[in-house]
Amino acid sequence: MAALQRVAQSSASTTASSYGSCKGGAASSFSAANEMAVSDRFPAGLRVLVVDDDTTCLRILEVLLGRCAYQVTACSQATVALNLLRERKGCFDVVLSDVHMPDMDGFKLLEHVGLEMDLPVIMMSADGRTSAVMQGIRHGACDYLIKPIHEAELKNIWQHVVRKKWNGNKELDHSGSLEDNDRNKRGNSDVEYTSSVNEGTEVILKGPKKRSNTKEDDDGDMENDDPSTSKKPRVVWSVELHQQFVSAVNQLGLDKAVPKRILELMNVPGLSRENVASHLQKFRLYLKRLAQQQSGISNGFCGPVESNAKLGSLSRFDIQALAASGQIPPQTLAVLQAELLGQPAGNLVPAMDQPAILHASLQGPKRAPVEHGVPFVQPLIKCQSNVSKHFPQSIIPAEDVSSGFGSWRSNSLSTVAPSNNLGGLATHNSSMLMDIMQQEQRQHKKTQQQSVLTESSRLINVQPSCLVVPSQSSTSFQAGNSPASVNQSCSFNRSTVIDYSILSAQSNNSSLNIGHIPTGNLKTPSILDGYSAHGSVPTTSCSVNAGNNTSHQNSAVPFCDSRQLPGVLHDMSNIQGLYVDKSGEMLDQGSLRNLGFVGKETGIPSQFAVDDFESQVSNLNHGKIYVENSGNPVKEEPSMNFVDNAKVGIPILQEFSCSDFMSVFTE
Amino acid sequence: MLGLGVDRLRADMNRLLAMLFHQGVLDEQFLQLQQLQDESSPNFVSEVVNIYFHESEKLLRNLRELLMDREFSDYKKMGTHLNQFMGSSSSIGAKRIRNVCVAFRAASEHNNRAGCLRALEVLEHEYCYLKNKLHELFQIEQQRVLAAGVRYPMQNN
Repeated sequence: MAALQRVAQSSASTTASSYGSCKGGAASSFSAANEMAVSDRFPAGLRVLVVDDDTTCLRILEVLLGRCAYQVTACSQATVALNLLRERKGCFDVVLSDVHMPDMDGFKLLEHVGLEMDLPVIMMSADGRTSAVMQGIRHGACDYLIKPIHEAELKNIWQHVVRKKWNGNKELDHSGSLEDNDRNKRGNSDVEYTSSVNEGTEVILKGPKKRSNTKEDDDGDMENDDPSTSKKPRVVWSVELHQQFVSAVNQLGLDKAVPKRILELMNVPGLSRENVASHLQKFRLYLKRLAQQQSGISNGFCGPVESNAKLGSLSRFDIQALAASGQIPPQTLAVLQAELLGQPAGNLVPAMDQPAILHASLQGPKRAPVEHGVPFVQPLIKCQSNVSKHFPQSIIPAEDVSSGFGSWRSNSLSTVAPSNNLGGLATHNSSMLMDIMQQEQRQHKKTQQQSVLTESSRLINVQPSCLVVPSQSSTSFQAGNSPASVNQSCSFNRSTVIDYSILSAQSNNSSLNIGHIPTGNLKTPSILDGYSAHGSVPTTSCSVNAGNNTSHQNSAVPFCDSRQLPGVLHDMSNIQGLYVDKSGEMLDQGSLRNLGFVGKETGIPSQFAVDDFESQVSNLNHGKIYVENSGNPVKEEPSMNFVDNAKVGIPILQEFSCSDFMSVFTE
Repeated sequence: MLGLGVDRLRADMNRLLAMLFHQGVLDEQFLQLQQLQDESSPNFVSEVVNIYFHESEKLLRNLRELLMDREFSDYKKMGTHLNQFMGSSSSIGAKRIRNVCVAFRAASEHNNRAGCLRALEVLEHEYCYLKNKLHELFQIEQQRVLAAGVRYPMQNN
């Protein structure tokens, strides 16, 4: 029988042997375990790391866990175990650790694992007294087993993995933070986001988004006491925190906003000046990007009247104005921003811009929302890289958003894994958008939704590189009548959805995003609202008719249905005009409807390989690459657009990134 | 003849086990250990028990050294040793030893040195008894395996 792993015997040799044994034990199963973890054989194949300095117990547990069909790795030293976990991130699902160990206290290990890897940790001890168990709970252990441990207890530990994953997603939904991603990443958040499908996969498989209360509560707390911790826990810029930040910055004035003063104004315990400084840096870049976008857009197109003028001024004034105008509810923007900022450095440059853009949109000047919208949109598009990571998060919480979303979410859940693999970007974007949208939707009902959407839609159009507008696809996207889609968007954030769909007539992304966002975080207020041109969208719409804007003054946003986009629309209209021609047909009702879908894969570029997308999506894309997206037929469920969207979400995000995006708008 | 031996040996084993269970020296956790023994891990029980003996003797030595020390005051350290001893004992099903450890821990938490010493003696006694009995058990098992192994070739003849 396998020799007991005397992992702790000697340092080097131990490490080597332990690793070797770990590898040996788990090597074959690592890849297999990954699959098994999510296979129908679950919980068989659960990858367990058991740490106990008592060799007797370690050996017994090893065999017991093996009997449960788990993939076991045994370590007798906590330090070795921690190294193993660090080196092989994503290779374990759960950690079983003894409380009393000579080299490191079990609770210390628990803290490290929770912070760095966000895995569920189960404590074990011969001491079963209430006080001891209480201590375990206080430290955040998922469970506390009392020796002697029976096989039946071990057979049940998989529940902690699942629970953590689901709670994590749920929390994400509520908070809109990308804590999980942050946890997974050990890098600093100041730099650009580095996303990887891997991480997305990690998120899914591991599930363990450490949504634990300890983590959430430490919204900014840093742990500096343990020298053995190589990295400090990242500050998660949740929506609330970000809003505080933004308000503090506004209070001070962007030019005068220095980290120290911001910190004082925010008055958040545990937040350090460095955290604020890095966040501010990101924010500034985002604003700059926003400004650039504005100028770029206006120049590119016939130039909406205001755009040029606004270009220069696009800054916090604009942002503020926009926010003030209510077109982009500050919360939405904040959320968006938070989302963007919170996103792991998956996106390179774009990521940075996103926050700025979001911010800009948040503050939005009163002028043409377009400008703001554009930035807004851009980030979304760009966020693709983070999609994979973000997507699962956003998708899962989607349920909370609305019924439509809910269903969508569940659908997306199932598809999360595959979608992640596909185009992390798409997912990311969609998730971000979704989150944003959802937030928006929650906070603002129809009116705002429409305006926001329109705005965003406008913005999207502006973006040259943005989504492709598969006008036709949009129709399919919406399922034709899209009444379902369109209507739906009205119903819940549907409006939001719709708008996006319009925008992304071609790109499912847009629709997806919309759909996603609402599901994930309803926090994104206005933006989504604006987009979700409610049911009316389809009717008015999109089409190209600048004058269509039913409700909006600008009308310009034909597709956006511009109903609600006041200022923004006019700019859009100009822009749209450009596109309109091309997509004329696209922007027909169908396209509008597609917009409603928001999540429909209209434009998702195939590159993102969104499997989830239903065929409709592809249709939207004019048969472009998006085709891939089998997409969820958005139209199918009148109220469930989101459901579809959810799936589509990923692809949609991709679409955003497509250049087609613009055309979508025109449509 | 040998075949009879196998049956007899098995009966001896069962009798011994029953007695140990009855005395409270072992509990059902030991049965779980036995259940974990199969073709893939044929000597699992003896392997684990030998590890237990090895570790326990170390722990007992440490405890003895701590208590014999005149300036002994580190009850916390003693508690750590105790905790581990308790954990491993309960994991193999050594119920009586575990119970003594509980009493030992109580004395230690009250900083009752005398009480700890008494508990340690009982502990050492219990441990010796368990070790002897388990050795006896393994010997019977070994003989039984041997007898069973020898028997088969004879059958083939």
